[in-house]
Amino acid sequence: MDENEAFEYVKRTLKNEKITPFHLDELDIVKSIESCINCGLCINHCPVVASVGLDRFSGPRSIAVELSRSSPEFWATIDKIYLCTGCGTCREVCPKNVNIPEIVNIVRANIFEHRRDLVPKGLMLVKEIIDKHERAFEPWEDPAEKIESRDMRLERLNLPFVPDVVKENAKVLFYPGCQAEERAQEVREAAKVILDYFDVDFTLLDEFQCCSLPSHLMGDAKTARDLASKLKKKVKKLGVKKVVTTCAGCTSNLTDLSERDNWGIPAYHLLEFLVNEIGFNRLANALKNPDIETEVHVSVHDPCHLIRHTSRQVMDHALNILRIMPGVRVSESIAHDSCCGGGGMVSYHSPDVANAVVQENLEALEKTGAERLVTPCPLCTAQLENNLFKSGSSIEVDDLTVFIAQRLAKKE
Amino acid sequence: MDIEADLVVIGGGMAGLVAGTIAAEAGLNVVVIRKGQSATAYSSGAVDVIGYLPLASDPFSSPEEGLFALSRLYPLHPYSVIGYDESIQPEKILDVIVERTRDTVSWLKAHLEGTLAPVKGKFDSNIHPITILGTTKPTCLIQKTMDSGDLNERDDSVLLFVGISGYADFNSSAAAQTYLEDRVVSGSSPQKVAHCVLQVMPFGKPYNISSIELARHLDHAGSIEPIAEQLKKHIEQVGATHIAFPPIMGIRNAMKNKLKLEEMTGTTVFELLGFPPSIPGQRLQKSLETIFVKAGGKLLLGHEAISYTRDGALLKSITAKSPRREIKIDAKAFLLATGKYIGGGISGNKNGLRETLFDIMPVTGDYHSALDIVPSRSTSTLSISPVGQPIQSCGLSVDPRFRPVTEEGLEWAENLFAAGAILAGYNYAVEKSGLGVAATSGFNAAKNAIELIKEVA
Repeated sequence: MDENEAFEYVKRTLKNEKITPFHLDELDIVKSIESCINCGLCINHCPVVASVGLDRFSGPRSIAVELSRSSPEFWATIDKIYLCTGCGTCREVCPKNVNIPEIVNIVRANIFEHRRDLVPKGLMLVKEIIDKHERAFEPWEDPAEKIESRDMRLERLNLPFVPDVVKENAKVLFYPGCQAEERAQEVREAAKVILDYFDVDFTLLDEFQCCSLPSHLMGDAKTARDLASKLKKKVKKLGVKKVVTTCAGCTSNLTDLSERDNWGIPAYHLLEFLVNEIGFNRLANALKNPDIETEVHVSVHDPCHLIRHTSRQVMDHALNILRIMPGVRVSESIAHDSCCGGGGMVSYHSPDVANAVVQENLEALEKTGAERLVTPCPLCTAQLENNLFKSGSSIEVDDLTVFIAQRLAKKE
Repeated sequence: MDIEADLVVIGGGMAGLVAGTIAAEAGLNVVVIRKGQSATAYSSGAVDVIGYLPLASDPFSSPEEGLFALSRLYPLHPYSVIGYDESIQPEKILDVIVERTRDTVSWLKAHLEGTLAPVKGKFDSNIHPITILGTTKPTCLIQKTMDSGDLNERDDSVLLFVGISGYADFNSSAAAQTYLEDRVVSGSSPQKVAHCVLQVMPFGKPYNISSIELARHLDHAGSIEPIAEQLKKHIEQVGATHIAFPPIMGIRNAMKNKLKLEEMTGTTVFELLGFPPSIPGQRLQKSLETIFVKAGGKLLLGHEAISYTRDGALLKSITAKSPRREIKIDAKAFLLATGKYIGGGISGNKNGLRETLFDIMPVTGDYHSALDIVPSRSTSTLSISPVGQPIQSCGLSVDPRFRPVTEEGLEWAENLFAAGAILAGYNYAVEKSGLGVAATSGFNAAKNAIELIKEVA
């Protein structure tokens, strides 16, 4: 038996033993877990532990020192491993930079591969939709209805309509993400309004597809990698210089993919793009729409995928943009950076957990006295809006992209 | 995404946040970057200044006494360094050390008032609060929730240790027994001691309960009254005058809960000092962050300093890395407060130690190079001994202005200062001096940095 044959033989054995070798790009994550010193600091900061208790969700430390080391019996972790919302708080407070949110996805991937029967049904339903439509939500059956819904949203928000553009060699690819593509269409439209306002040479994808984050989060590694390589081809073919998105999850995931798969094309959130490419001077001049209500008292929610998976600096940009808006008063909620519960696909199978996590945000928001909440992520917007509505709160929620687009003055 | 600042502080524990706040209050534009929480968040939440002289078994009665002894015997101890200013006459050095440390303690006490972690305690005497093991330790400042009132002054005091069913971090019966034995050994007047277990179920289950669940549960309105009702029965049984709780009395409402319990039961209620990572430590960390931000500082969480640029004798910028972005931060001065082995300021392997960001030569407690020491020879086989672990005394050597120095004894850069656990020459575990050294060195290093920045301007 030569070396290659031996290698193949061992690989087969691994398969029988239900062991999946790590990808090379996962090794840093796996190694970071070895640095865990078992201190338990993360437990005191985990929003899921805080909301449902250590007995229901054993917490980040247990993921680092127990659940992630359960190979090959990863399936035994299913009652805990799917409850992580992936907010990244544990990694941020960890003195050793242990990459717990990512090891969760690796464990989930193992369960998905070897014990798909144990993957929560709610996640498998999403997988079906992704497999069929390459996006995380069922598309509209009737395209005309989709347009009608879009126009109603534009009218309600008093936003102009900027037609879709698809062309090669534009500077910027605007990537709305599944939520804004199918559901929160106003975010997609608002972003186009903003890009058009500042004369940005942008394009959309010819045919929209998911960035692969939902597949990655549910452990469907194969679909995630397939989607990622398809997306790379589409982006490369368009010949753009940058990808700009309005979704927090897409921001962190596209950044990852761009680096991992050598796109050579960086991905940014629209906020980063506005601050770095447009600049505060132009923004300050633009954000003077005299038609919009004069005084508004807002509070801000920081999406986990921006602050803890990308950089806290992004939300500084958001606050600085809000500060230059005339008539906008910002009150900080003490839970501004606390996970809304909408992450990690938890709401698809354990909505009780997701909704327990968001309670912290709701209570803190009521205390600010703000009449409106803004956040630069359509998923956080939906999660917070639903829960505020259910709790009988009068606080309205706006995606920050929409909030900005509404405040643009007439173009000169 | 680049930022400019007057002062960049690398590390957001006690040393970094005190330094950052001092500089921000002086009107400077300060950025503190932090990659994770560390020793301050781990701490019991009490602030030790100096408890013991290494090798001694009797604690100092006051920080002042400790500093006098320490600065005579250990002239390179971080506390001693604060007295080495060219302008200070030799006979005044001791007084200056005591004064500057006292100033730091007063500053800290005043700033923590009104936060989640208000403290009490005097520079003129050490306090000996009880830990969850039932032992006591010397410290300078305790959080007000840890105040046991007249427990030791009264002859008729009866101390009741309160455990919580299903909360494994605290065993009230073992703590009561150790406390009693400790008092007999130390010759203090014996006290009547009792213990009990209460049922508190944040999520309806009497098992597998963590500190944070209890603390957060007690933050909610209406959660403390049922506990008081359960307590009353036990208090009546043993005639308890003082009630010792594990450190879980709340994050935001701990003090309110203490007062409410006292009012409802007619006793003195206090928190014991806990193991890392404790809830009072979390309160202290959060409070220091709040103070810094209120002073106008910018706290950049989740960013790790990974590289730097320098221009001759000056450090020009550092690059801070978050999970998916890098930011270059230019500044006039920099302060290194990255901690030691836990914080990651110093790392080591079988070949020796190194400082992780600038690669400045670390030294041992005897001020020899620690670049190629064998860590196993700097550790003691006894895990707890009066000598402690010599490797804990390794770190950076600094000049009188708290600037790290190179092998030649010259400052590594004119505008780089260091404070906190990254400093060599002290062993916090033995001395019980951790947060005190961090605060005092942060306080004084920041003053030097401010001076430098204002000179340049």
